[in-house]
Formats: sequence, structure tokens, C-alpha cells
Amino acid sequence: MVERGSFTSVIGRNGSGKSTLAKNINALLLPTGGTVVVGGYDTRREETIWEIRRMAGMVFQNPDNQLVSAVVEDDVAFGPENLGLPREEIRARVQSSLAAVDMLEQRKMAPHLLSGGQKQRIAIAGVVAMKPDLVILDEPTAMLDPEGRGEVLAIAKQLHREGITILLITHFMEETVDSDRVVIMDEGRIVLDGTPEEVYGRADEIRAYGLRLPFAVEVADELRARGVAVRAGVLREEELLEEVLRLCPSR
Amino acid sequence: MPISVAHLTHVYNKGLAYETSAVKDVSFEIADGEFVCIVGHTGSGKSTLVQHLNGLLKPTSGTVSVGGVDVTAKSTSVIEVRKKIGMVFQYPEHQLFEETVFKDIAFGPSNLGLPEEEQAERVREAMALVSLPFDAFAERSPFELSGGQKRRAAIAGVLAMRPEVLILDEPTAGLDPKSHDDVLALVTGIREKTGCTIVLVSHNMEDVARLADRVFVMSGGEIVKAGTPEEVFLDGAFLEGIGLALPQARAFAEKLSQNGAAIEAGRVLTREALVDAVAGLGARR
Repeated sequence: MVERGSFTSVIGRNGSGKSTLAKNINALLLPTGGTVVVGGYDTRREETIWEIRRMAGMVFQNPDNQLVSAVVEDDVAFGPENLGLPREEIRARVQSSLAAVDMLEQRKMAPHLLSGGQKQRIAIAGVVAMKPDLVILDEPTAMLDPEGRGEVLAIAKQLHREGITILLITHFMEETVDSDRVVIMDEGRIVLDGTPEEVYGRADEIRAYGLRLPFAVEVADELRARGVAVRAGVLREEELLEEVLRLCPSR
Repeated sequence: MPISVAHLTHVYNKGLAYETSAVKDVSFEIADGEFVCIVGHTGSGKSTLVQHLNGLLKPTSGTVSVGGVDVTAKSTSVIEVRKKIGMVFQYPEHQLFEETVFKDIAFGPSNLGLPEEEQAERVREAMALVSLPFDAFAERSPFELSGGQKRRAAIAGVLAMRPEVLILDEPTAGLDPKSHDDVLALVTGIREKTGCTIVLVSHNMEDVARLADRVFVMSGGEIVKAGTPEEVFLDGAFLEGIGLALPQARAFAEKLSQNGAAIEAGRVLTREALVDAVAGLGARR
């Protein structure tokens, strides 16, 4: 169960089932057993499959595989055009979606001339133009440099603030610390599920699943092992900084 | 095998409206057996530069010589060059194509016209280097392997050519943390076992700080800084100015220092060093 308006991060090894889970949500895959219900619609019912795909937009890892047009704004218009919306409505949606990902200025450009981070933002704009309730991001930053990663994550957080439910699949633990909820998958099962504080409090289990901890959590954990009394629940760098400064004598 | 690059310039779309100098007057030497990391923002020219090292791209001007052989000279056989210089591209598993792992890895050696026993010998050797047990994997389809295993199989295909220089362009992109560590461990293992010269393109400053003998920092098609990790990571503001970051541990140590903690940030490059430094501060227990 994912609550409306929440930000959930899903982590797990390659092959742990994260992407399969994500594709089951917007009916790209159908469950072999069990049910998936999105906004009240069962994904196995063919009549409502397009409504589910409009509600649950998906952004994939490789930006080059998701852009279909030679001009940025045409690419963003692709989805709304397929909905058969009136021209004015399409134009308004393209405008507001590109503004939402801060790419309005590049609207006449060819996507292949953009950076990886910019291409991913266009892919997200294409999803936003469908007015989704839920956006699933499947390793959207895996192919980006650190700057591009920052851009995409900032957009995801902003969409969340605007009320869109976010499901973020990632290998970058740092990207998950501001989530409402972190889900860890292993061999097709959910093995840990809770707030970042709860989940990252179980450092040894996470390591046993072949995963890493966010930087501040890892450092805090190692300091505790060395006898330094860092408080529990440190997730972010600022919190760790505050703790270390509190504990250490200053110059 | 040593590498020597002099005044290398590469211009894409020369004479067209989209003409861009991807690499501008770059010169450097890499010693035999050295481990060099190349870092830079997307579009800084890293990939263009490394594609010159095995003759995939020809320079607009300048020379590239590997093991004393001028790669760019017309008389040089590109095949001879590629035998010595192995290139692992981004997402190398996309290049897997054969029915079995064995056949995929043997593809290069078979193209060299080597006898079958020699091919098999090389496949065994390469699989051992990437820690894919021969008996368990040789006859499997490469497409049914996990992400990390596929990548190792693809790297084995390059190693089967017994290269003397191994160039890797972001070999850990898209891998989970465990597979990421595995791939880097195998790169350092290959270097130890074969004495190969390694050129690694990476966005991950933690890896660079840990692995590199020397780091080349690229920006706008030029090498703007070169040196040991200690030297290159001295100037955080400079790196930030060209869209790069310090290793997280160093950046954190600097913040501690700026906030009055008695820590020598310049000595911290890795998380282990950071933990040591903080634990050594006489923190409350």
C-alpha cells in the first residue's frame, strides 16, 4: 500500500525485483498471482488500463530511450496529443510541464543536444503533462553525472510538494533520506519497510542485503563502533556535522 | 605499456554549424602499469579523449603513441593497436550477443585466428580474472545472468585479448553497491595480476580517491589539473567551479574544520580516514 501524496524510495540489488514491481503498478506487467489496485482500478481490467497509465506515469533509466521527437516541446506534447485533448489544452500543459522541470527556455531545442540531466527532465515533463497522480521513477539518475542527479532529484521532490505521489527506485542511498518511507527489496520480497530512520537504523541487515548506507549514516555507525557517542537517527550530513561538533572539543 | 599524447585536438563536425572542439591541445604521459583516473563534467571531453587511445577516433591534430607505436600514423595497423589496448565502454553488457558466455568471450580471440585450445585457455583465464567460475557459467546464455554478472562477462571478453592497457569508461554505472565494489575489486585485481596500465573514467570521486595513482581533471576539452588524488582534491572551490565535487569525506572534513573542529581536512580523502580523524579528536564517549 502506497499512500496518496507520499514519497517512497525502493532500494535493492540488481535483480531484486524493484523494476518488476514498478512495472506491475502501471500495468506494463500483470501479476502472476495477487492484485494491484491503482487509484481504485485493478490493473488486470483491460478497460481501465489507459486510465491507470495516465494516473501512474513512469520515467526510466535511459533518457535516450524515452524521447521520441526531434523538438523538446513536441516530445512533451506526445502524451496529451494521444489523449485527444484540444490544442489549447495541449499547449497549456506543455507550457506548464516544461516550467515545472525548468526547461521552458529549451522548448525549441533538439533533445539530443541536451545533457543527460536535461533529457531526463524532459522525460519527466512528458509524464507531468499527463497530469498523473503518481510518478514512478525507475533509477532515473543511474546514467547521469552528479550535477544531473541533483537536478532530477530536486524535480522529484518538487513534484511531491505539489501533491504528486512519488515512487523512486534508486541505487543512490543519499537520494532516499528525505523520503517518507524506504522499502528494501531482496530476491523479490520486501525485507525492510519503514521511515528512513527506522530502516537505516538496521545497518547490519542492510549491509547483508549487499547494500550500502547513506554517507552520514555509515560514518555515524562507524564512529559509534569506535566508541564515539553519536546519537541514533542521524541521516543527513548536517545532522552528523552538528553531532560531531557537539562531541568534539573545538580548536 | 606507456602512453604518450602530444597536442591532441579533436574537432567534431569540422566546418559545419555545429563544429565543436571536444578535446583541445591535450598532452600527457602515462607510465607503464600506472592507474590513471579521468574525471570531468558530462561533455568535458573524457570519452572523446579515451577513444583516441585505441584508435577509435583519429585526432584532428596531434599524436597518440602507445608502447612507442604511433597510433595515429597511417602505416600503423589499427588491429595491432586494439590487441594491446582493451576498451570497456559504458554499459558493456549491451554488447553481449552470443549464445553462451564461452562463445561471447572467445569472440575476440577467434577473430585473431587463434587455435581453439588457445581460445579456450584465454576464456578460462579471463573468466578467472573476473571471478566467473568457468564450470558454472561458460555454457550459460549471457542474457540470463544478473546485471553484475553480465558486466563481468563483458569485461572478460575484453580481457581475453590480453590487453596491456585497459581503458574503462564508467564501468560501474547503473550497478548496485555490491556489484559496484565487485567490479572495482576486479579492476584492481587485474592490475595486480597482469601489471596492466589502467585508464578509468569515473564520476565517483570516492572511487577516484581510493584507486588512482594520478587523476586528470577535464573541463571544456582540456586537462585543467593533473596530479595525485591528494593534489587534485586540494582545491574544492576550483572543482566546484567546473561542475565537480570533492569526495564526500573530504568535503565533510572541510566543513568540520570550518566550524572549528581541530581536524586536518587535507589529509582526509576516504570515509575510513574521516572516521579515523574524528575518532582521534578526543570526542566524548
